Amino acid sequence: MKNAANSRSRSHWRSKLLPADAVVTGTHGLRSRKGRTLLTAIGIAIGIASMVAVLGISASSKADLIAEIDKLGTNLLQVQAGSNLFGESAKLPEEAPAMVRRLGPVENASSVSRLDTDVQRNQYLDDNNGLDVLASEPELLDTLDGAMAQGRFLDTGTATLPTVVLGSVAAERLGVRTLDGGPTVQIAGRTFAVIGILEPLPLNPDIDRAVLIGNEAAEDFLGAEVIPTAIYLRAIPELVEDVRSVLPRTANPADPSEVNVSRPSDALEARAQVDENLQNLLLGLGGVALLVGGVGIANVMIISVLERRGEIGLRRALGATRRHIALQFVLESASLATLGGIVGVGLGSAVTYTYARRQDWLVDIPVQALGAGVAGALVLGALAGLYPAIRAARLDPADAVRPA
Amino acid sequence: MTVLDLTAVTKEYPGSPPVRALDDVSLSVSEGELLAIVGASGSGKSTLLNIIGTLDRPTSGQVVIEGTPVADLSDAGLAGLRSARIGFVFQQFHLLEAITAVDNVATGLLYQGVRRGRRRALATEALERVGLGHRLGFKPPQLSGGERQRVAIARAIVGDPAIVLADEPTGNLDSHTSTDIVNLLRQLNDDGSTIIVITHDQDLAADLPRRVTLSDGRVVDDDAHLSAFRIPAGEEPAEARGVTS
Ligand SMILES: Nc1ncnc2c1ncn2[C@@H]1O[C@H](COP(=O)(O)OP(=O)(O)OP(=O)(O)O)[C@@H](O)[C@H]1O
Ligand SMILES: [Mg+2]
Repeated sequence: MKNAANSRSRSHWRSKLLPADAVVTGTHGLRSRKGRTLLTAIGIAIGIASMVAVLGISASSKADLIAEIDKLGTNLLQVQAGSNLFGESAKLPEEAPAMVRRLGPVENASSVSRLDTDVQRNQYLDDNNGLDVLASEPELLDTLDGAMAQGRFLDTGTATLPTVVLGSVAAERLGVRTLDGGPTVQIAGRTFAVIGILEPLPLNPDIDRAVLIGNEAAEDFLGAEVIPTAIYLRAIPELVEDVRSVLPRTANPADPSEVNVSRPSDALEARAQVDENLQNLLLGLGGVALLVGGVGIANVMIISVLERRGEIGLRRALGATRRHIALQFVLESASLATLGGIVGVGLGSAVTYTYARRQDWLVDIPVQALGAGVAGALVLGALAGLYPAIRAARLDPADAVRPA
Repeated sequence: MTVLDLTAVTKEYPGSPPVRALDDVSLSVSEGELLAIVGASGSGKSTLLNIIGTLDRPTSGQVVIEGTPVADLSDAGLAGLRSARIGFVFQQFHLLEAITAVDNVATGLLYQGVRRGRRRALATEALERVGLGHRLGFKPPQLSGGERQRVAIARAIVGDPAIVLADEPTGNLDSHTSTDIVNLLRQLNDDGSTIIVITHDQDLAADLPRRVTLSDGRVVDDDAHLSAFRIPAGEEPAEARGVTS
C-alpha cells in the first residue's frame, strides 16, 4: 500500500528541467555578474591563448621550414675530405668525382677544391675575412640548385679566365654590392673580375662564404694543383640513403674512413626538432596558466555558492532537485571556462597570425588546436565546478532559505 | 478535503542540549483555508512552515500532504512535490535580480518542465492577478518592496499549488503595504487558494479566519472563531477545520 502510494505520487510530481532551460539556468549567474565573469574567464583565456599561440607559431615556423626544405630538396649529399691525423685537411682522390658520378642513382655531381690562399677587395688590404677560394666547375650551380643574384655563373669560357663568382656572404664581406663599374678582387696578388653574385644557399653556407673560380683559371693564374676537397651530388630521392652508405668507399676506396658524408637538409630538419622541445616547454607553461585559471574558476564558484545561498534555497523550494542545483553550477563553471576558451582561441590565433606575418612565414593555425582549446576549457571548467556544485547541492534547503 | 495533516510532529535540532523547536504538533488544514501561524520569536513558526513545505523533515511524527505521507518520498520526490503542489513566499522576497518580473514568476514553473512560452504566458496571467500587469518587464531593483512581494506571490501561485506558504511576507514592508499584501492573500484565498501565513503582526493576524498560536514549539491555541461565523450553522468549527490537537 505504502509502495503503491509512493510510486503513484512520484509519477505525479516529478521535478523536471528541460535541457534548454538547464542551459539558460546554468548561465544565469554569469549574465547577472558580467564583470566578474569576464575577469574570471581571463585566466583560462590566457592559458588557452598561450597554448594556441605556441602551437600556431611553431606550426607556422615548421610549415615554413618544411616548405623551405621541400623547395631545397632533401636529396643533396655532400662528400668532404676529413682531416688527417695532423689536423691538415685531407684531399679526395683526383678521380673521386668521376667515381661518384658513375653511381647509378646519382643524378649529377660537382666537386670543389679549396685553394690555400685568400681573397681581398684590393691589394692594400690584408683582412682575415674568413672567406675561402674554391676552384669549381660550371655544373656546381645546377647541382646546388642555386640562383644568381646578379650576373652569371662560371661557364666553360669564363672558367678559363681570371674571373670569380661570389657567394652571398663573400660579396657582402668584400663590399661588392653590384656588378656596375666592373668590381674586381685580389687573389694571391692577381686581379680577378667579379662576374656574378650568388643568392644565398640555405643548404650550403660554405659556398655562401666562398669565392669561386674556374678549375682551369686556378691552374693557369694561381698555379694551383686542383684536387677535390668536397663533392656535392644529387641522388634519386628514394635512394638517398643507399647512395649515402656507399659514398665513402666510392669516393676514397683506399681510405673510406677519411671521408665525411653529410646531408645538409638534415641540419634544417634538426632545427624543427629543436623547436619541438621548446614548444613542449612553452606548452607546459601554458598548461600551468590553464591550471591556475581552473583553480581561479573553482574559487570564484565556491564564493558564488556562498553568496547565492538564498537563490539555491529558492530553487530548492521551487522544486529543483539536488541534481538540478549541481547541474546548474557545473554548467555555469563550464560555460565560464568555455567563454575563456573561445576568447583564448581567438587571442592565440591573432597572436599567431601577427607573429607569423611579421616573420614572413606561412600562417598555419592547427584547427585541432582550436577545437581542443575550446573543448579542453569546457572540460576543465566542468571539473573546476564539480566541487562547488556538490557543495551547492548539499546545502540544506531549510537553512538556505532562512534569512542570513 | 484535507490538504495537510500533521500528527505529533516533533523537530529537534542537534546540540547540547538539543533544541526542541517543535513539540508534538498536530494540525490539519482543509482546502480553501487561510490561516495565520503566530507566536513569539523563536517559538518554532519557521521550523513548522519548513516542515509543512517539505524543505525539512520532522524528527518524529507524520506529515501527510494531499494524502501522501511525506516520509515515503525520496529527496527528489519531495522536490517534485514542491515543484507542483507547494508555493513559497519569503520575507526577503528571494527574487532573481537580473531578470524581469515575468521571468521571475515563470521560474515558479521552471522545475515542472513547462516550456518557456507557456511559462511566460501563465506568469503574465499571475502578475495580472496580483495587480502587476503594468510591471511585466521590470526587474526587481526597479520595483518597490510591495511590488516585489507581489511578484513573489505571483511566483508562488503561478503553478496553482495545493498550499501557499508565506513566512513573514510583510516583515520587510511598511504597515500600509502590509495591509495591501494581506488583502491580496485574502483575495487569492477567496479565489480558492489554501494559504498558511506566518506573521508577527497581531493586527494582521486578527483579521484572518483562523490563527494557530505557537509557544516554545507547542500549539497553545487554535482559534477559528472568526471564520466560525461563516460556517453554516450546525457544523462544529473545530471539526470543519480538522483540528486534532
Ligand atoms: N538550524 C537550526 N539549528 C539549531 N537550532 C535552530 C535551527 N533553526 C532554528 N533553530 C531554533 O529553533 C527554534 C525555533 O526557531 P524558528 O526559526 O522556527 O523560530 P520562529 O518562530 O520562526 O522565530 P522568528 O519569529 O524569530 O522567525 C529557535 O530556538 C531556534 O534557535
Ligand atoms: Mg521565523
